[in-house]
Amino acid sequence: MSALLEVKNLATHFTTRDGIVRAVDGVSFTLDCGETLAIVGESGSGKSVTALSIMRLIQEPQGKVVSGEVLFKGDDILKLSDSKVRAIRGDRIAMIFQDPMTSLNPVFRVGRQIGESLILHKGMSRREAFERAVELLDMVGIPHPRDRARDYPHQFSGGMRQRAMIAMALACDPDILIADEPTTALDVTIQAQILELMIEMQERTGAAIIMITHDLGVVADMADDVMVMYAGKQVEYGKADGVFYTPRHPYTWGLLDSLPRHDIDEKGALLPITGQPPSLINVPAGCAFHPRCPYAKDVCTTGTPVLTDVGEGHLSACHFSNDPEFDRRASQHPGEVA
Amino acid sequence: MFKYVVRRVFQMIPVFIGVTLILFILRAPGVLPGDPVRMITGERGMTDALRQQIIEKHGLDQPLYRQYVIYLGNLLQGDLGESYQRGRAVTEIFADKLPNTLRLALAAIVIEAIVGVTAGIISAVRQYSFLDVLVTLSTSILVSVPVFWLGMLFQIFFGIKLKEWTGGAFYLPISQMSSGEFPDWAHMILPAITLASVSTAYVARIMRSQMLEAMGQDYIRTAEAKGLTRRAVTFRHALKNALIPVVTFVGIDFGVMMGGAILTETVFSWPGVGREIFLAVGQRDWPIVMGGVVIIVFLVMIINLLVDLSYALLDPRIRYGGGPE
Repeated sequence: MSALLEVKNLATHFTTRDGIVRAVDGVSFTLDCGETLAIVGESGSGKSVTALSIMRLIQEPQGKVVSGEVLFKGDDILKLSDSKVRAIRGDRIAMIFQDPMTSLNPVFRVGRQIGESLILHKGMSRREAFERAVELLDMVGIPHPRDRARDYPHQFSGGMRQRAMIAMALACDPDILIADEPTTALDVTIQAQILELMIEMQERTGAAIIMITHDLGVVADMADDVMVMYAGKQVEYGKADGVFYTPRHPYTWGLLDSLPRHDIDEKGALLPITGQPPSLINVPAGCAFHPRCPYAKDVCTTGTPVLTDVGEGHLSACHFSNDPEFDRRASQHPGEVA
Repeated sequence: MFKYVVRRVFQMIPVFIGVTLILFILRAPGVLPGDPVRMITGERGMTDALRQQIIEKHGLDQPLYRQYVIYLGNLLQGDLGESYQRGRAVTEIFADKLPNTLRLALAAIVIEAIVGVTAGIISAVRQYSFLDVLVTLSTSILVSVPVFWLGMLFQIFFGIKLKEWTGGAFYLPISQMSSGEFPDWAHMILPAITLASVSTAYVARIMRSQMLEAMGQDYIRTAEAKGLTRRAVTFRHALKNALIPVVTFVGIDFGVMMGGAILTETVFSWPGVGREIFLAVGQRDWPIVMGGVVIIVFLVMIINLLVDLSYALLDPRIRYGGGPE
C-alpha cells in the first residue's frame, strides 16, 4: 500500500537581506492513513515551514520550496495547479495553527468561519453550512453550540477558540490534519483537554495527524512516529517507541533530558541544552548541532552526518549513531543514572 | 448604548462654551480692529441718535459677559442673531447655504471613498508594482499641495487653457453653482475634486497600509488554509478588517468638509457655509462668523458621534455601554 502522504527530500528556503535561510533542508517522511506523526524541535528548526510547505502556503517570493516532492495519494502537491491545491487545502488536508487568538478572523461570526470551507468544498448552502457548524461545535465540546456559533471570536476563551479551530479543520472530514503547536498558546490545563480532544477526534474521523510541537511530552501519548528536527534537517526519525526509549541522537537526548519527569527520582534540576539554535543563514559546518553537543568530536565539525538506519527503520543523523560504545548511558551522561 | 450617547452629548457642552467664548473674546473691543456700528451702517454718515439705536438693538452697550450670556441664551432657543450687514437672521442665511455645502461635501466624499479605497487596495494587492509606486508617489505629493492652489491650477487648466486649446469646444465651469451654459452637476466637478483631493490621498494611504497589515495577519493564513481563493481571502477576510479605520477617517472627514470647505468654496465662488464665513470675516460681520462656526462645530460633533457609533457595527469587538463581556 502506498502511503497517504510521502514527503521526499523537501527543501524550503527564504531569501532575506542577510542571505538565504535554509529553513527546511532535505526532509523526508511518510504518513499512513490514521497515523500520527510528531515533528519535534526547537523554535526555528523548520517544523512549521515543513507544514506550510506541504500545504503550499509558503509566501512567495520571499520563501520558496526549492526541491523535493510532496506526494499526496500519489500526486505531487508541489506540481499541482493552484486550483487543484486549493481543492485539497481545507478539504483533504486541514491545518490548525498555534495561536487561536489571532487565527480566527475577528470580524466574522465563528459559525460562519467554520461553515466557510463547507460552502466552498461541499457545495452547501449558507444555512446548511451553519447547521453543520453547530454540530461540529457540539462535537468539539462547546456548550450551547447554536448560540456560540453566532458569537464572534473575541467572545470565546483561548481554549474554546482552539476547539473552534479544530471544528473548522475537521469540517470537511480531512484525510490529514496538520496541527502546528496547537497547545503552545494555551494554559497547561487547557492543553491536556485539547490534546485529548484531538485524540478523540482522530478516533472518530480516522484522520492522520501531523503534530508539530517543541514539547516531547505532548506527543508521547499520541504519536506513532516521531521526527526530530534541528536547523532545518531531520536528526532522528522513527517509531515513537524507538525515539523515546532508544534515542540515538545527542540532540534527542538533550530534548528528553530537558523534560520534567516523574518516573525518575532525582533531586537535580532539569538539564537544558546549552547554547542557542544556530542561525539558519550560517549553519555550522559539519553537524549543525556540534557547537552544542557535549559529545562532539573532530569529525563532527567537518563531515555532515547522514541519516542512517540504526535498526528497524529507526533513522539517526549522527556520526556515532551506529557506534555501540556511543550510548546515552554508557557515555556517562550526567542526567541519566539508571 | 443609550448611556453612551447621553454622555457624549453632555461632553459637547464644554466644547460649545469654549468655542463661543474664544470667538467672543476675539470680538471684544480692542482685540481685533473694526467698529461694529461702522460695519452695520457702512460708509454713510450717521447721527448720534442712529448710532445709539443700532448699539441698543444689537446689545452692544452691554458688558461683554452679559452679551455672551444673552448670546448663549438665544443659542439655546435656536437664535443665532442677526447679520450686521445683511439685515437677515443668521439661521436664515445658513439655511440657504448649508444645502450647497452639503451637496459639495457629499460629492467630495463619494470621490474620496471610491477613488481612495480603490487606489489603496490596488496598491496593497500589487505591492511594489508600478501602480503601487504611482499611488504612493502621487499621494505623497497630493497631501502636501495647498488646496486653494490646487483649485486655482484646476481653474487655469480645465477652465481657461482647455478652452483655448479646444477652441472653446470643451472646458469646465470654474465658478458659481449654476449658469445657463452648463448643467448644474458640471459646476460641481472641479470644486468637488479639489475638496476631495487631499483626503483621497490620505484614504489611499490608510487603505494601503491597513490592507497590508490585514494581509499579514494569522487569520489570513487560516483562510488560505481553508482553500479559499486569493480573491476571497483578500476581499472577504482582509478587506473587512482593513476598512474599519478607513470608514472612520472618511466619516470624520465628512464632518470636516462641512466646515473646512472654506478655501475650496472661496476659490470656486461656491455659495456655501465656508464662503459665507470667509466673506463675513472680511466684513467683520460677527454674528455670521459666530453662527457659522457654531453650526460647523455642532455638525462635526454630531457626525463624529455617528462615526463612533457606526464603529460598533463594523467591529464586533467594540460595544458601547457594556454589552455581554
